[in-house]
Amino acid sequence: MSELIRQFRDFFVSLKLTVVLIAFSILLIFAATLDQVNLGIWAVQQKYFHSLFVMWSFGDIPVPIFPGGYLIGGFLLINLIAAQVYRFKLNAKKSGIWLTHVGLILLLIGELLTGIWQEEFALRLDEGETKNFSESYRANELAITETTDPKFDEVVAIPEKFVARGEPIQQAKLPFRVVPKIYYPNAALAARDPNSPGVAPTPATTGIGLQATATPLAYSYKQNERNAPSAYIELVGTEGPIGTWLISADPRFPPQSFEYAGRTWKIAFRFERSYKPYSLTLLKFSHDRYAGTEIPKNFSSRIRLNSPDGRDDREVLIYMNNPLRYAGLTFYQAGFENDDKTTILQVVRNPSWQLPYIACALMTLGLILQFCIHLVAFIARRRTSSSAAA
Amino acid sequence: MIASLMRTRLLAFAAASLIALTSCRDPKITTYRVPKEKTPTLPPASSSPAATSTPGASMANTAVTTANGPGLTWNAPSHWTAKPASAMRKGSYAITGEAGATADLSITAFPGDVGGDLANVNRWRGQLQLPPLAAAELSGATVHLDANGLHLTTVDFTGGPIATPQRVLGAIIPVGNATWFFKLSGPSNLVGREQAAFATFLQTIHAPGATP
Repeated sequence: MSELIRQFRDFFVSLKLTVVLIAFSILLIFAATLDQVNLGIWAVQQKYFHSLFVMWSFGDIPVPIFPGGYLIGGFLLINLIAAQVYRFKLNAKKSGIWLTHVGLILLLIGELLTGIWQEEFALRLDEGETKNFSESYRANELAITETTDPKFDEVVAIPEKFVARGEPIQQAKLPFRVVPKIYYPNAALAARDPNSPGVAPTPATTGIGLQATATPLAYSYKQNERNAPSAYIELVGTEGPIGTWLISADPRFPPQSFEYAGRTWKIAFRFERSYKPYSLTLLKFSHDRYAGTEIPKNFSSRIRLNSPDGRDDREVLIYMNNPLRYAGLTFYQAGFENDDKTTILQVVRNPSWQLPYIACALMTLGLILQFCIHLVAFIARRRTSSSAAA
Repeated sequence: MIASLMRTRLLAFAAASLIALTSCRDPKITTYRVPKEKTPTLPPASSSPAATSTPGASMANTAVTTANGPGLTWNAPSHWTAKPASAMRKGSYAITGEAGATADLSITAFPGDVGGDLANVNRWRGQLQLPPLAAAELSGATVHLDANGLHLTTVDFTGGPIATPQRVLGAIIPVGNATWFFKLSGPSNLVGREQAAFATFLQTIHAPGATP
């Protein structure tokens, strides 16, 4: 083995690295906990833990100032695996420690996979309504839909990040370019009277943007608030600009239709959608109360689950602590609105949800095993020494 | 030696897969075909507002005690249809307009000040998806009236979906240790038409024992 590879290996196997990484983790968790006051839990997770580096903005330039959760966790994982491979020899005496480390490795892998794979969506259903998609809690998308076909809609979904960048977007399925002109991460909408003499000019040339304006608002990191990004989007065809639309992810703002090249289109800013190969219909939402009071007793949604291939067509009852698990997703009863006529289900995908349980079981088993090994050895030693003394 | 090389490769592989895994989170433009959607239904005015939070809007706060004791009396216009009062409502009326549009008048009463005028005004604004008012803005958004010995704080807000705006005319009346709420809500046009009738109606509200 060359000297370089040996040094590389020794670096990752070293116990000093473990100590430094654990110290970094403590500092990271401490700083993140304090910053939760400013950013809220979701943004803190993204900034401190689901990142390679914690970035700090100096003016407009983001500068990495501290290793993030992925970097520390990743190094810790490699460090543990390296120690497992090179340092710990699997023998009966150390089998408990060995098992504990395997559990710890599994726990770190589980957290990494959860960070990468876990998705959380909301499914809002009015009574009698059928949907085959759920919507993101925070992420938005610019959806340009061709509605010409009487049976199908062709959707081009552009994540908000692309709109925020402000660069022209060319997509093979669109006969025009999408040029984000102005983008506000959070904005308030106000009515605008185009016929009023002193009315301020608007970048919009068509659609609702002629009657409404968007004013930027401070971005909110609070858990119970949702930002409503708005943007002025210009569509440019081969002959030149088609028009500039105001779009907003504010739930009051409807999709806007237009004609281009003999085809009908719809443009909208909306919650990011995740389509499913099956549909859910809300048959009945029940909000049970204790008799004679307004105190809630139970919330439940009677749902019809239907897959087009005919494999599933059944009724399910979702209530608190009794979610529906189907096709890798878990549907929880999360809320309701609209005078008890609309249910809100939380839809979670986490393929690695079992890993932390397995990891904790392995670590517990390892610690118990190691304790027992030591205990047996200790008792044996005492017996030997006492018999020697006698 | 070979075993050691294998171990080093294994380690390098673990590091590479870790980096690869963390780099697959970038959003991408997607295209797909979906069955025709029905005309999108705009969310009702009571749905959760954008970037606003309203006191009393969460699941945990649904248990409510209504005020007991002697109540207010009133005379409703004849074209308002009385609906049966419920556990929550002291009085309830439906007002029908053109093309099946309906507005709802609710009369409720709760012990105490129910969080104060600002919280209640912002609760109504939240229902119309309007941003909450700051304490300093409250006086500019309310009109005070005195009728039959009662002190009324009235509001008039329009909001909700741009295509189908909603309007709320409301009055908050402290009576003894309770607070009464008179709220007329519905499509903006219909509520606008009923504005004069609502103002007259407020003048008919009497406290218990007061001479009409």
